[in-house]
Amino acid sequence: MSDQTQEIRTPFHEFEAGFNIIIDLITPGTRVLDLGCGSGTLLARLRDEKDVEGCGVELDQEKVMRCTERGIRVMTLDLDYGLEGFPDLSYEYVVLSRTVQQLARPEHLVREMLRVGSKSIIAFPNFGQWKIRLEYLLTGRTPLVRTFPLPWYSSPDIHRITIQDFRHFVCDIGGKIEREFFIIKNEPKPRLFFPNLRADWGCVQISAQHSSL
Amino acid sequence: MDRTVTVSTQSIQLEGVRLQSGIYLSPLIVAYETYGELNERKDNAVLVLHALSGDAHAAGLDADGRIGWWDGMIGPGKGIDTTKYFVICSNCLGGCKGTTGPTSVNPDTGKPYGRTFPQITIRDMVNVQVMLIEKLGISKLHSVIGGSMGGMQALEWACGYGDKLKSAVVIAATARLSPQGIAFNWVSRNAIYCDPASPAKSDDLNSGFYKPGRGLAVARMIGHITYLSEETMQAKFGRKRKLRDMDGTTYSLGENQGIGGEFEIESYLQHKGSSFMARFDEDSYIIITKAIDYFDLVREYGDLASAFKEIKGKMMIVSFTSDWLYPTSMSLDIVRALQASKKHVSFVEMDLPYGHDSFLVPQGMPNMTRIVKGFLKGV
Repeated sequence: MSDQTQEIRTPFHEFEAGFNIIIDLITPGTRVLDLGCGSGTLLARLRDEKDVEGCGVELDQEKVMRCTERGIRVMTLDLDYGLEGFPDLSYEYVVLSRTVQQLARPEHLVREMLRVGSKSIIAFPNFGQWKIRLEYLLTGRTPLVRTFPLPWYSSPDIHRITIQDFRHFVCDIGGKIEREFFIIKNEPKPRLFFPNLRADWGCVQISAQHSSL
Repeated sequence: MDRTVTVSTQSIQLEGVRLQSGIYLSPLIVAYETYGELNERKDNAVLVLHALSGDAHAAGLDADGRIGWWDGMIGPGKGIDTTKYFVICSNCLGGCKGTTGPTSVNPDTGKPYGRTFPQITIRDMVNVQVMLIEKLGISKLHSVIGGSMGGMQALEWACGYGDKLKSAVVIAATARLSPQGIAFNWVSRNAIYCDPASPAKSDDLNSGFYKPGRGLAVARMIGHITYLSEETMQAKFGRKRKLRDMDGTTYSLGENQGIGGEFEIESYLQHKGSSFMARFDEDSYIIITKAIDYFDLVREYGDLASAFKEIKGKMMIVSFTSDWLYPTSMSLDIVRALQASKKHVSFVEMDLPYGHDSFLVPQGMPNMTRIVKGFLKGV
Protein backbone atom coordinates (compact mmCIF):
# COMPACT_ATOMS: atom_id res chain seq x y z
CA MET A 1 0.00 0.00 0.00
CA SER A 2 1.46 3.34 -0.96
CA ASP A 3 1.50 6.00 1.71
CA GLN A 4 2.35 8.83 -0.62
CA THR A 5 1.25 9.65 -4.11
CA GLN A 6 4.07 10.06 -6.59
CA GLU A 7 3.10 13.66 -7.27
CA ILE A 8 5.81 16.31 -6.98
CA ARG A 9 5.10 18.55 -4.03
CA THR A 10 4.78 22.28 -4.64
CA PRO A 11 3.50 25.14 -2.46
CA PHE A 12 0.10 24.00 -3.77
CA HIS A 13 0.31 21.08 -1.37
CA GLU A 14 1.22 23.17 1.67
CA PHE A 15 -2.28 24.27 2.42
CA GLU A 16 -2.52 23.84 6.18
CA ALA A 17 -3.60 27.44 6.63
CA GLY A 18 -6.37 27.02 4.09
CA PHE A 19 -7.59 23.79 5.64
CA ASN A 20 -7.64 25.47 9.04
CA ILE A 21 -9.83 28.28 7.72
CA ILE A 22 -12.23 25.83 6.07
CA ILE A 23 -12.43 23.64 9.17
CA ASP A 24 -13.12 26.70 11.36
CA LEU A 25 -15.95 27.74 9.06
CA ILE A 26 -17.75 24.40 9.28
CA THR A 27 -20.31 23.73 12.00
CA PRO A 28 -19.73 20.38 13.78
CA GLY A 29 -21.94 17.42 12.90
CA THR A 30 -22.94 18.73 9.47
CA ARG A 31 -22.71 17.10 6.05
CA VAL A 32 -19.86 18.27 3.85
CA LEU A 33 -19.20 17.56 0.19
CA ASP A 34 -15.56 18.10 -0.81
CA LEU A 35 -15.10 18.55 -4.55
CA GLY A 36 -11.65 17.56 -5.78
CA CYS A 37 -11.00 16.00 -2.38
CA GLY A 38 -7.62 14.51 -3.33
CA SER A 39 -6.65 11.70 -0.99
CA GLY A 40 -9.11 12.89 1.63
CA THR A 41 -6.90 14.97 3.95
CA LEU A 42 -9.54 17.64 4.61
CA LEU A 43 -12.40 15.16 5.01
CA ALA A 44 -10.37 13.01 7.41
CA ARG A 45 -9.68 16.07 9.57
CA LEU A 46 -13.32 17.17 9.40
CA ARG A 47 -14.41 13.70 10.46
CA ASP A 48 -11.95 13.56 13.34
CA GLU A 49 -12.19 17.18 14.52
CA LYS A 50 -15.77 18.13 13.68
CA ASP A 51 -17.69 14.86 13.54
CA VAL A 52 -18.62 15.69 9.97
CA GLU A 53 -20.36 13.24 7.65
CA GLY A 54 -18.28 13.80 4.57
CA CYS A 55 -18.25 12.77 0.96
CA GLY A 56 -15.50 13.45 -1.53
CA VAL A 57 -15.47 13.74 -5.29
CA GLU A 58 -12.22 12.93 -7.08
CA LEU A 59 -11.24 11.84 -10.57
CA ASP A 60 -7.74 10.52 -9.93
CA GLN A 61 -7.90 6.76 -9.31
CA GLU A 62 -4.95 6.56 -6.94
CA LYS A 63 -6.44 9.32 -4.77
CA VAL A 64 -9.87 7.67 -4.85
CA MET A 65 -8.32 4.43 -3.59
CA ARG A 66 -6.49 6.29 -0.82
CA CYS A 67 -9.78 7.87 0.28
CA THR A 68 -11.42 4.46 0.42
CA GLU A 69 -8.52 3.09 2.44
CA ARG A 70 -8.96 5.92 4.93
CA GLY A 71 -12.62 5.02 5.26
CA ILE A 72 -13.73 8.15 3.46
CA ARG A 73 -16.79 8.01 1.27
CA VAL A 74 -15.79 9.03 -2.24
CA MET A 75 -17.12 9.17 -5.79
CA THR A 76 -15.19 9.01 -9.05
CA LEU A 77 -16.73 11.88 -10.97
CA ASP A 78 -15.55 14.57 -13.37
CA LEU A 79 -16.38 17.98 -11.92
CA ASP A 80 -16.61 19.48 -15.40
CA TYR A 81 -19.86 17.54 -15.80
CA GLY A 82 -21.37 19.24 -12.78
CA LEU A 83 -23.11 17.56 -9.88
CA GLU A 84 -25.86 15.65 -11.63
CA GLY A 85 -27.58 13.29 -9.23
CA PHE A 86 -26.81 15.28 -6.08
CA PRO A 87 -30.18 16.41 -4.72
CA ASP A 88 -30.85 20.13 -4.06
CA LEU A 89 -29.56 21.33 -0.69
CA SER A 90 -28.40 17.86 0.29
CA TYR A 91 -25.25 19.15 2.01
CA GLU A 92 -24.75 21.92 4.55
CA TYR A 93 -21.39 22.74 2.97
CA VAL A 94 -19.86 22.15 -0.42
CA VAL A 95 -16.11 22.75 -0.49
CA LEU A 96 -14.07 23.47 -3.60
CA SER A 97 -10.51 23.89 -2.48
CA ARG A 98 -7.65 24.80 -4.86
CA THR A 99 -9.55 23.49 -7.87
CA VAL A 100 -11.74 26.22 -9.35
CA GLN A 101 -8.88 27.67 -11.44
CA GLN A 102 -8.43 24.26 -13.11
CA LEU A 103 -12.00 23.66 -14.24
CA ALA A 104 -13.10 23.90 -17.86
CA ARG A 105 -16.51 25.22 -16.79
CA PRO A 106 -16.15 26.95 -13.41
CA GLU A 107 -19.44 28.85 -13.72
CA HIS A 108 -21.39 25.65 -14.27
CA LEU A 109 -19.87 23.94 -11.26
CA VAL A 110 -20.18 26.88 -8.85
CA ARG A 111 -23.85 27.26 -9.79
CA GLU A 112 -24.24 23.55 -9.08
CA MET A 113 -22.54 24.02 -5.71
CA LEU A 114 -25.05 26.73 -4.80
CA ARG A 115 -27.83 24.32 -5.75
CA VAL A 116 -26.50 21.33 -3.79
CA GLY A 117 -25.16 23.03 -0.66
CA SER A 118 -26.62 25.57 1.74
CA LYS A 119 -23.19 27.16 1.84
CA SER A 120 -20.21 26.82 -0.43
CA ILE A 121 -16.60 27.40 0.50
CA ILE A 122 -14.15 28.08 -2.30
CA ALA A 123 -10.40 28.53 -1.92
CA PHE A 124 -8.34 29.67 -4.89
CA PRO A 125 -4.88 31.06 -5.68
CA ASN A 126 -4.86 34.84 -6.21
CA PHE A 127 -3.20 35.58 -9.53
CA GLY A 128 -3.67 39.32 -8.89
CA GLN A 129 -0.82 39.30 -6.42
CA TRP A 130 1.65 42.13 -7.06
CA LYS A 131 4.64 39.91 -7.92
CA ILE A 132 2.65 38.17 -10.63
CA ARG A 133 1.41 41.49 -11.97
CA LEU A 134 4.93 42.89 -11.98
CA GLU A 135 6.25 39.92 -13.88
CA TYR A 136 3.58 40.36 -16.55
CA LEU A 137 4.50 44.04 -16.77
CA LEU A 138 8.27 43.64 -16.87
CA THR A 139 8.69 40.50 -18.95
CA GLY A 140 5.49 40.55 -21.00
CA ARG A 141 5.19 36.82 -20.44
CA THR A 142 2.87 34.60 -18.43
CA PRO A 143 4.57 34.12 -15.06
CA LEU A 144 5.32 30.82 -13.44
CA VAL A 145 3.28 30.90 -10.27
CA ARG A 146 4.12 29.36 -6.92
CA THR A 147 1.14 27.01 -6.77
CA PHE A 148 2.08 25.05 -9.87
CA PRO A 149 5.35 26.38 -11.26
CA LEU A 150 4.72 25.26 -14.82
CA PRO A 151 4.57 27.27 -18.06
CA TRP A 152 1.16 28.24 -19.42
CA TYR A 153 1.04 25.36 -21.90
CA SER A 154 1.37 22.65 -19.27
CA SER A 155 -0.03 24.34 -16.17
CA PRO A 156 -3.26 22.84 -14.82
CA ASP A 157 -4.22 26.37 -13.72
CA ILE A 158 -6.08 27.35 -16.86
CA HIS A 159 -7.85 30.33 -15.29
CA ARG A 160 -5.60 32.96 -13.78
CA ILE A 161 -8.22 34.49 -11.52
CA THR A 162 -7.86 37.27 -8.96
CA ILE A 163 -9.72 38.02 -5.76
CA GLN A 164 -11.49 40.89 -7.55
CA ASP A 165 -12.45 38.55 -10.40
CA PHE A 166 -13.97 36.15 -7.94
CA ARG A 167 -16.01 38.81 -6.14
CA HIS A 168 -17.51 39.93 -9.45
CA PHE A 169 -18.11 36.36 -10.53
CA VAL A 170 -20.10 35.54 -7.37
CA CYS A 171 -22.18 38.67 -7.95
CA ASP A 172 -22.75 37.79 -11.62
CA ILE A 173 -24.13 34.33 -10.85
CA GLY A 174 -26.48 35.67 -8.20
CA GLY A 175 -24.51 34.45 -5.20
CA LYS A 176 -23.63 36.27 -2.03
CA ILE A 177 -20.26 36.41 -0.27
CA GLU A 178 -20.83 35.71 3.41
CA ARG A 179 -17.28 35.41 4.69
CA GLU A 180 -13.91 36.22 3.19
CA PHE A 181 -10.45 35.12 4.28
CA PHE A 182 -7.04 35.68 2.79
CA ILE A 183 -3.84 33.74 3.12
CA ILE A 184 -0.55 35.57 2.97
CA LYS A 185 2.70 33.70 3.62
CA ASN A 186 0.71 30.76 5.08
CA GLU A 187 -1.01 33.07 7.57
CA PRO A 188 -4.80 33.23 7.48
CA LYS A 189 -6.18 36.78 7.71
CA PRO A 190 -9.86 37.68 8.03
CA ARG A 191 -8.93 41.24 6.99
CA LEU A 192 -6.12 42.45 4.82
CA PHE A 193 -5.30 45.81 3.26
CA PHE A 194 -5.22 45.53 -0.52
CA PRO A 195 -5.89 41.77 -0.55
CA ASN A 196 -6.01 41.64 -4.33
CA LEU A 197 -2.43 42.89 -4.42
CA ARG A 198 -1.08 40.97 -1.46
CA ALA A 199 -2.88 37.71 -0.75
CA ASP A 200 -1.51 34.37 -1.99
CA TRP A 201 -4.89 32.71 -1.63
CA GLY A 202 -8.48 33.77 -1.30
CA CYS A 203 -11.06 31.75 0.57
CA VAL A 204 -14.73 32.69 0.49
CA GLN A 205 -17.94 31.31 1.88
CA ILE A 206 -20.83 31.98 -0.44
CA SER A 207 -24.51 31.13 -0.59
CA ALA A 208 -27.33 31.55 -3.05
CA GLN A 209 -28.80 35.08 -2.84
CA HIS A 210 -32.25 33.89 -1.76
CA SER A 211 -31.05 31.95 1.25
CA SER A 212 -31.77 33.68 4.52
CA LEU A 213 -28.89 33.98 6.93
CA MET B 1 -6.71 -19.16 1.07
CA ASP B 2 -4.34 -21.46 2.84
CA ARG B 3 -3.03 -23.73 0.13
CA THR B 4 -2.17 -26.60 2.49
CA VAL B 5 -5.81 -27.25 3.33
CA THR B 6 -8.30 -28.19 0.68
CA VAL B 7 -11.80 -26.82 0.87
CA SER B 8 -14.85 -28.82 -0.01
CA THR B 9 -18.30 -27.72 -1.00
CA GLN B 10 -20.94 -28.45 1.61
CA SER B 11 -24.63 -28.70 0.98
CA ILE B 12 -27.73 -28.09 2.95
CA GLN B 13 -31.20 -29.40 2.25
CA LEU B 14 -34.10 -26.98 2.60
CA GLU B 15 -37.77 -27.74 2.32
CA GLY B 16 -38.33 -25.65 -0.77
CA VAL B 17 -38.74 -22.18 -2.15
CA ARG B 18 -41.75 -20.31 -3.51
CA LEU B 19 -40.55 -18.83 -6.79
CA GLN B 20 -41.67 -15.42 -8.03
CA SER B 21 -43.58 -17.25 -10.74
CA GLY B 22 -45.70 -18.86 -8.00
CA ILE B 23 -44.25 -22.34 -8.44
CA TYR B 24 -43.11 -24.09 -5.27
CA LEU B 25 -39.77 -25.72 -5.94
CA SER B 26 -39.07 -28.63 -3.62
CA PRO B 27 -36.88 -30.21 -2.44
CA LEU B 28 -34.19 -27.58 -2.45
CA ILE B 29 -30.50 -28.20 -2.02
CA VAL B 30 -27.99 -25.39 -1.65
CA ALA B 31 -24.28 -25.96 -2.21
CA TYR B 32 -21.97 -23.56 -0.41
CA GLU B 33 -18.47 -23.04 0.92
CA THR B 34 -17.29 -21.01 3.88
CA TYR B 35 -13.91 -19.58 4.76
CA GLY B 36 -12.78 -18.08 8.05
CA GLU B 37 -14.63 -18.25 11.34
CA LEU B 38 -17.99 -16.84 12.36
CA ASN B 39 -17.41 -14.75 15.48
CA GLU B 40 -19.48 -15.02 18.65
CA ARG B 41 -21.64 -12.04 17.84
CA LYS B 42 -22.21 -13.52 14.38
CA ASP B 43 -21.70 -10.12 12.80
CA ASN B 44 -18.64 -10.73 10.64
CA ALA B 45 -20.24 -12.68 7.81
CA VAL B 46 -19.65 -11.62 4.21
CA LEU B 47 -21.69 -13.21 1.45
CA VAL B 48 -19.91 -13.45 -1.89
CA LEU B 49 -22.11 -13.78 -4.98
CA HIS B 50 -20.81 -15.41 -8.13
CA ALA B 51 -21.40 -14.43 -11.74
CA LEU B 52 -23.07 -16.40 -14.55
CA SER B 53 -20.64 -19.29 -14.78
CA GLY B 54 -19.32 -19.30 -11.21
CA ASP B 55 -19.97 -21.67 -8.35
CA ALA B 56 -19.64 -22.05 -4.58
CA HIS B 57 -15.90 -22.67 -4.85
CA ALA B 58 -14.73 -19.08 -4.50
CA ALA B 59 -11.40 -19.52 -2.73
CA GLY B 60 -8.70 -22.03 -1.90
CA LEU B 61 -8.03 -25.36 -3.55
CA ASP B 62 -10.61 -28.09 -3.80
CA ALA B 63 -9.88 -31.82 -3.69
CA ASP B 64 -9.10 -31.77 -7.43
CA GLY B 65 -6.58 -28.98 -6.96
CA ARG B 66 -8.85 -26.48 -8.64
CA ILE B 67 -8.41 -22.92 -7.44
CA GLY B 68 -11.43 -20.81 -6.40
CA TRP B 69 -12.79 -18.26 -8.87
CA TRP B 70 -12.03 -15.28 -6.59
CA ASP B 71 -9.06 -16.66 -4.70
CA GLY B 72 -7.15 -13.43 -5.35
CA MET B 73 -9.71 -11.52 -3.30
CA ILE B 74 -10.62 -13.97 -0.52
CA GLY B 75 -8.09 -15.24 1.99
CA PRO B 76 -5.93 -14.25 4.96
CA GLY B 77 -4.81 -10.62 4.52
CA LYS B 78 -6.56 -10.33 1.16
CA GLY B 79 -9.32 -7.91 0.11
CA ILE B 80 -11.91 -9.95 1.96
CA ASP B 81 -9.72 -10.97 4.86
CA THR B 82 -10.66 -14.43 6.17
CA THR B 83 -8.88 -13.74 9.45
CA LYS B 84 -11.52 -11.05 10.05
CA TYR B 85 -14.54 -12.16 8.13
CA PHE B 86 -16.57 -15.32 7.81
CA VAL B 87 -16.99 -15.62 4.06
CA ILE B 88 -19.86 -17.56 2.50
CA CYS B 89 -20.32 -18.34 -1.17
CA SER B 90 -23.16 -20.47 -2.49
CA ASN B 91 -23.96 -21.82 -5.92
CA CYS B 92 -26.96 -19.89 -7.24
CA LEU B 93 -30.41 -21.37 -7.70
CA GLY B 94 -30.63 -22.85 -11.20
CA GLY B 95 -26.91 -23.54 -11.24
CA CYS B 96 -25.29 -26.86 -11.99
CA LYS B 97 -22.71 -27.08 -9.21
CA GLY B 98 -24.68 -28.60 -6.39
CA THR B 99 -27.57 -26.23 -5.87
CA THR B 100 -30.96 -27.28 -7.24
CA GLY B 101 -31.11 -26.59 -10.95
CA PRO B 102 -31.89 -28.21 -14.29
CA THR B 103 -29.49 -31.10 -13.64
CA SER B 104 -31.29 -31.99 -10.39
CA VAL B 105 -33.80 -34.81 -10.40
CA ASN B 106 -37.43 -33.78 -10.62
CA PRO B 107 -39.18 -35.77 -7.85
CA ASP B 108 -42.33 -35.99 -9.98
CA THR B 109 -40.63 -37.78 -12.88
CA GLY B 110 -37.55 -39.31 -11.33
CA LYS B 111 -35.54 -37.76 -14.17
CA PRO B 112 -33.47 -34.55 -14.36
CA TYR B 113 -35.52 -31.38 -14.88
CA GLY B 114 -33.55 -30.44 -17.97
CA ARG B 115 -35.39 -27.79 -19.88
CA THR B 116 -38.54 -28.30 -17.78
CA PHE B 117 -36.88 -26.53 -14.85
CA PRO B 118 -39.08 -23.57 -13.90
CA GLN B 119 -37.86 -20.14 -14.92
CA ILE B 120 -36.23 -18.47 -11.97
CA THR B 121 -35.30 -14.85 -11.30
CA ILE B 122 -32.42 -13.04 -9.63
CA ARG B 123 -34.82 -12.41 -6.74
CA ASP B 124 -35.44 -16.16 -6.41
CA MET B 125 -31.68 -16.74 -6.21
CA VAL B 126 -31.46 -14.14 -3.44
CA ASN B 127 -34.42 -15.62 -1.57
CA VAL B 128 -32.59 -18.96 -1.46
CA GLN B 129 -29.43 -17.23 -0.20
CA VAL B 130 -31.50 -15.59 2.54
CA MET B 131 -32.68 -19.03 3.65
CA LEU B 132 -29.11 -20.32 3.68
CA ILE B 133 -27.91 -17.40 5.80
CA GLU B 134 -30.72 -17.97 8.29
CA LYS B 135 -29.84 -21.67 8.49
CA LEU B 136 -26.27 -20.69 9.28
CA GLY B 137 -27.62 -18.65 12.20
CA ILE B 138 -26.74 -15.24 10.79
CA SER B 139 -29.32 -12.49 11.11
CA LYS B 140 -27.28 -9.63 9.66
CA LEU B 141 -24.46 -9.75 7.12
CA HIS B 142 -21.49 -7.44 7.34
CA SER B 143 -21.61 -7.20 3.57
CA VAL B 144 -22.78 -8.79 0.36
CA ILE B 145 -20.32 -8.56 -2.53
CA GLY B 146 -20.79 -9.55 -6.13
CA GLY B 147 -19.80 -8.70 -9.67
CA SER B 148 -21.85 -8.90 -12.87
CA MET B 149 -24.80 -11.21 -12.10
CA GLY B 150 -23.48 -11.30 -8.52
CA GLY B 151 -23.77 -7.51 -8.50
CA MET B 152 -27.41 -7.78 -9.58
CA GLN B 153 -27.96 -10.11 -6.63
CA ALA B 154 -26.19 -7.69 -4.30
CA LEU B 155 -28.57 -4.95 -5.47
CA GLU B 156 -31.56 -7.23 -5.00
CA TRP B 157 -30.33 -8.07 -1.50
CA ALA B 158 -30.02 -4.40 -0.59
CA CYS B 159 -33.45 -3.53 -2.01
CA GLY B 160 -35.35 -6.50 -0.61
CA TYR B 161 -33.53 -7.27 2.63
CA GLY B 162 -32.26 -3.92 3.86
CA ASP B 163 -32.48 -5.09 7.47
CA LYS B 164 -30.29 -8.11 6.86
CA LEU B 165 -27.13 -6.37 5.72
CA LYS B 166 -24.85 -3.56 6.77
CA SER B 167 -23.36 -2.93 3.36
CA ALA B 168 -23.23 -4.06 -0.25
CA VAL B 169 -20.53 -3.94 -2.92
CA VAL B 170 -22.00 -3.92 -6.42
CA ILE B 171 -19.32 -4.51 -9.07
CA ALA B 172 -19.73 -4.15 -12.86
CA ALA B 173 -23.48 -4.51 -12.58
CA THR B 174 -26.66 -2.84 -13.71
CA ALA B 175 -30.19 -2.35 -12.44
CA ARG B 176 -31.45 -3.56 -15.81
CA LEU B 177 -29.56 -5.20 -18.65
CA SER B 178 -29.20 -3.18 -21.86
CA PRO B 179 -30.87 -4.40 -25.06
CA GLN B 180 -27.34 -5.03 -26.30
CA GLY B 181 -26.74 -7.38 -23.38
CA ILE B 182 -30.07 -9.12 -23.98
CA ALA B 183 -29.13 -9.50 -27.63
CA PHE B 184 -25.87 -11.25 -26.82
CA ASN B 185 -27.62 -13.57 -24.38
CA TRP B 186 -30.27 -14.34 -26.98
CA VAL B 187 -27.67 -15.23 -29.59
CA SER B 188 -25.90 -17.40 -27.01
CA ARG B 189 -29.08 -19.28 -26.20
CA ASN B 190 -29.78 -19.66 -29.91
CA ALA B 191 -26.45 -21.40 -30.32
CA ILE B 192 -27.75 -23.97 -27.83
CA TYR B 193 -31.25 -24.13 -29.34
CA CYS B 194 -29.82 -24.74 -32.83
CA ASP B 195 -27.60 -27.52 -31.62
CA PRO B 196 -28.86 -30.77 -33.20
CA ALA B 197 -27.59 -32.87 -30.33
CA SER B 198 -29.52 -30.91 -27.79
CA PRO B 199 -33.06 -31.96 -26.86
CA ALA B 200 -35.43 -29.44 -28.39
CA LYS B 201 -38.40 -30.42 -26.24
CA SER B 202 -38.69 -31.70 -22.73
CA ASP B 203 -40.27 -34.92 -24.11
CA ASP B 204 -36.94 -35.78 -25.65
CA LEU B 205 -35.51 -36.13 -22.19
CA ASN B 206 -37.29 -39.46 -21.99
CA SER B 207 -35.65 -40.70 -25.15
CA GLY B 208 -32.38 -40.99 -23.31
CA PHE B 209 -30.73 -38.89 -26.01
CA TYR B 210 -29.17 -36.20 -23.93
CA LYS B 211 -25.75 -35.47 -25.26
CA PRO B 212 -25.06 -31.81 -25.74
CA GLY B 213 -23.36 -30.77 -28.94
CA ARG B 214 -21.18 -27.71 -29.31
CA GLY B 215 -23.96 -25.18 -28.87
CA LEU B 216 -22.94 -24.45 -25.30
CA ALA B 217 -19.33 -23.94 -26.39
CA VAL B 218 -20.42 -21.39 -28.99
CA ALA B 219 -22.57 -19.66 -26.38
CA ARG B 220 -19.57 -19.41 -24.09
CA MET B 221 -17.39 -18.03 -26.87
CA ILE B 222 -19.90 -15.27 -27.54
CA GLY B 223 -19.95 -14.54 -23.82
CA HIS B 224 -16.18 -14.36 -23.64
CA ILE B 225 -16.01 -11.80 -26.43
CA THR B 226 -18.32 -9.54 -24.43
CA TYR B 227 -16.33 -9.96 -21.21
CA LEU B 228 -13.06 -8.80 -22.77
CA SER B 229 -12.19 -5.41 -24.17
CA GLU B 230 -10.79 -4.62 -27.60
CA GLU B 231 -7.64 -3.39 -25.86
CA THR B 232 -7.12 -6.65 -23.94
CA MET B 233 -7.69 -8.77 -27.03
CA GLN B 234 -5.13 -6.68 -28.87
CA ALA B 235 -2.60 -6.94 -26.06
CA LYS B 236 -3.14 -10.62 -25.27
CA PHE B 237 -3.60 -12.06 -28.74
CA GLY B 238 -3.09 -9.46 -31.42
CA ARG B 239 -3.09 -11.22 -34.78
CA LYS B 240 -0.75 -13.93 -33.58
CA ARG B 241 -1.25 -17.43 -34.90
CA LYS B 242 0.64 -19.59 -32.43
CA LEU B 243 -1.56 -22.25 -30.95
CA ARG B 244 -0.73 -21.66 -27.35
CA ASP B 245 -3.08 -20.90 -24.51
CA MET B 246 -2.52 -18.41 -21.74
CA ASP B 247 -0.58 -20.87 -19.60
CA GLY B 248 1.86 -21.56 -22.40
CA THR B 249 0.61 -25.06 -23.11
CA THR B 250 -0.17 -25.89 -26.70
CA TYR B 251 -3.21 -27.68 -27.93
CA SER B 252 -3.73 -29.13 -31.32
CA LEU B 253 -5.81 -28.12 -34.29
CA GLY B 254 -7.31 -31.58 -34.26
CA GLU B 255 -9.07 -30.89 -30.99
CA ASN B 256 -12.79 -30.27 -31.17
CA GLN B 257 -13.59 -31.77 -34.53
CA GLY B 258 -10.70 -30.13 -36.30
CA ILE B 259 -11.96 -26.60 -35.82
CA GLY B 260 -9.49 -25.49 -33.21
CA GLY B 261 -8.85 -22.15 -34.81
CA GLU B 262 -5.82 -20.61 -36.40
CA PHE B 263 -5.46 -17.19 -34.82
CA GLU B 264 -4.64 -17.11 -31.14
CA ILE B 265 -7.90 -15.42 -30.32
CA GLU B 266 -9.72 -18.24 -32.10
CA SER B 267 -7.81 -20.89 -30.20
CA TYR B 268 -8.44 -19.06 -26.97
CA LEU B 269 -12.18 -18.95 -27.55
CA GLN B 270 -12.20 -22.56 -28.71
CA HIS B 271 -10.36 -23.59 -25.58
CA LYS B 272 -12.73 -21.58 -23.36
CA GLY B 273 -15.75 -23.08 -25.11
CA SER B 274 -14.51 -26.64 -24.82
CA SER B 275 -13.55 -26.40 -21.18
CA PHE B 276 -16.91 -24.79 -20.43
CA MET B 277 -18.72 -27.75 -22.00
CA ALA B 278 -16.95 -30.04 -19.60
CA ARG B 279 -18.01 -28.07 -16.55
CA PHE B 280 -21.35 -26.47 -17.26
CA ASP B 281 -24.87 -27.48 -18.13
CA GLU B 282 -26.60 -25.96 -21.13
CA ASP B 283 -30.01 -25.78 -19.48
CA SER B 284 -28.50 -23.96 -16.52
CA TYR B 285 -26.98 -21.57 -19.02
CA ILE B 286 -30.37 -20.93 -20.59
CA ILE B 287 -32.18 -20.49 -17.26
CA ILE B 288 -29.56 -18.20 -15.75
CA THR B 289 -29.07 -15.97 -18.81
CA LYS B 290 -32.84 -15.54 -18.98
CA ALA B 291 -32.90 -14.59 -15.29
CA ILE B 292 -30.24 -11.96 -16.08
CA ASP B 293 -32.30 -10.67 -19.03
CA TYR B 294 -35.48 -10.44 -16.95
CA PHE B 295 -33.75 -8.61 -14.10
CA ASP B 296 -35.16 -5.10 -14.11
CA LEU B 297 -35.46 -3.16 -10.87
CA VAL B 298 -37.17 -0.29 -12.68
CA ARG B 299 -39.95 -2.57 -13.88
CA GLU B 300 -40.16 -4.35 -10.54
CA TYR B 301 -40.47 -1.22 -8.39
CA GLY B 302 -41.68 1.49 -10.79
CA ASP B 303 -38.44 3.45 -10.67
CA LEU B 304 -34.99 3.05 -9.18
CA ALA B 305 -35.50 5.53 -6.36
CA SER B 306 -38.48 3.47 -5.16
CA ALA B 307 -36.45 0.28 -5.51
CA PHE B 308 -33.80 1.76 -3.24
CA LYS B 309 -36.23 3.18 -0.66
CA GLU B 310 -35.67 0.44 1.92
CA ILE B 311 -31.89 0.35 1.61
CA LYS B 312 -30.29 1.01 4.99
CA GLY B 313 -26.65 0.00 4.67
CA LYS B 314 -23.67 1.56 2.98
CA MET B 315 -23.43 0.97 -0.76
CA MET B 316 -20.27 0.76 -2.86
CA ILE B 317 -20.75 0.79 -6.61
CA VAL B 318 -17.75 -0.14 -8.78
CA SER B 319 -17.48 0.09 -12.56
CA PHE B 320 -14.65 -0.32 -15.07
CA THR B 321 -13.69 2.11 -17.81
CA SER B 322 -13.22 -0.71 -20.33
CA ASP B 323 -16.47 -2.57 -19.57
CA TRP B 324 -18.73 -2.11 -22.57
CA LEU B 325 -21.21 -4.82 -21.55
CA TYR B 326 -22.13 -3.19 -18.21
CA PRO B 327 -20.71 0.29 -18.83
CA THR B 328 -20.08 3.01 -16.24
CA SER B 329 -23.23 4.84 -17.35
CA MET B 330 -25.29 1.95 -15.95
CA SER B 331 -23.49 2.11 -12.63
CA LEU B 332 -24.07 5.86 -12.59
CA ASP B 333 -27.81 5.28 -13.00
CA ILE B 334 -27.67 3.24 -9.80
CA VAL B 335 -25.49 5.82 -8.04
CA ARG B 336 -27.75 8.74 -8.96
CA ALA B 337 -30.90 6.96 -7.86
CA LEU B 338 -29.21 6.11 -4.55
CA GLN B 339 -28.22 9.75 -4.17
CA ALA B 340 -31.74 10.88 -4.95
CA SER B 341 -32.98 8.58 -2.18
CA LYS B 342 -30.32 10.07 0.15
CA LYS B 343 -28.52 6.76 0.65
CA HIS B 344 -24.93 6.33 1.75
CA VAL B 345 -23.26 5.56 -1.58
CA SER B 346 -19.65 5.45 -2.73
CA PHE B 347 -18.78 5.11 -6.37
CA VAL B 348 -15.47 4.06 -7.87
CA GLU B 349 -14.84 3.91 -11.58
CA MET B 350 -11.68 1.88 -11.97
CA ASP B 351 -9.38 2.55 -14.85
CA LEU B 352 -8.63 -1.05 -15.80
CA PRO B 353 -8.31 -2.27 -19.40
CA TYR B 354 -9.63 -5.83 -18.95
CA GLY B 355 -13.27 -5.24 -19.82
CA HIS B 356 -16.22 -6.62 -17.89
CA ASP B 357 -14.00 -9.31 -16.36
CA SER B 358 -11.69 -6.74 -14.73
CA PHE B 359 -12.79 -7.76 -11.24
CA LEU B 360 -11.76 -11.37 -11.87
CA VAL B 361 -8.39 -11.05 -13.59
CA PRO B 362 -5.25 -11.22 -11.41
CA GLN B 363 -3.90 -7.98 -12.91
CA GLY B 364 -6.86 -6.02 -11.55
CA MET B 365 -6.67 -7.59 -8.10
CA PRO B 366 -4.30 -5.13 -6.35
CA ASN B 367 -6.58 -2.16 -7.04
CA MET B 368 -9.78 -4.12 -6.39
CA THR B 369 -8.28 -5.28 -3.11
CA ARG B 370 -7.60 -1.73 -1.92
CA ILE B 371 -11.17 -0.67 -2.65
CA VAL B 372 -12.89 -3.69 -1.13
CA LYS B 373 -10.65 -3.86 1.93
CA GLY B 374 -10.99 -0.16 2.67
CA PHE B 375 -14.74 -0.18 2.20
CA LEU B 376 -15.32 -3.27 4.38
CA LYS B 377 -13.23 -1.72 7.17
CA GLY B 378 -15.30 1.45 7.08
CA VAL B 379 -18.70 -0.28 7.25
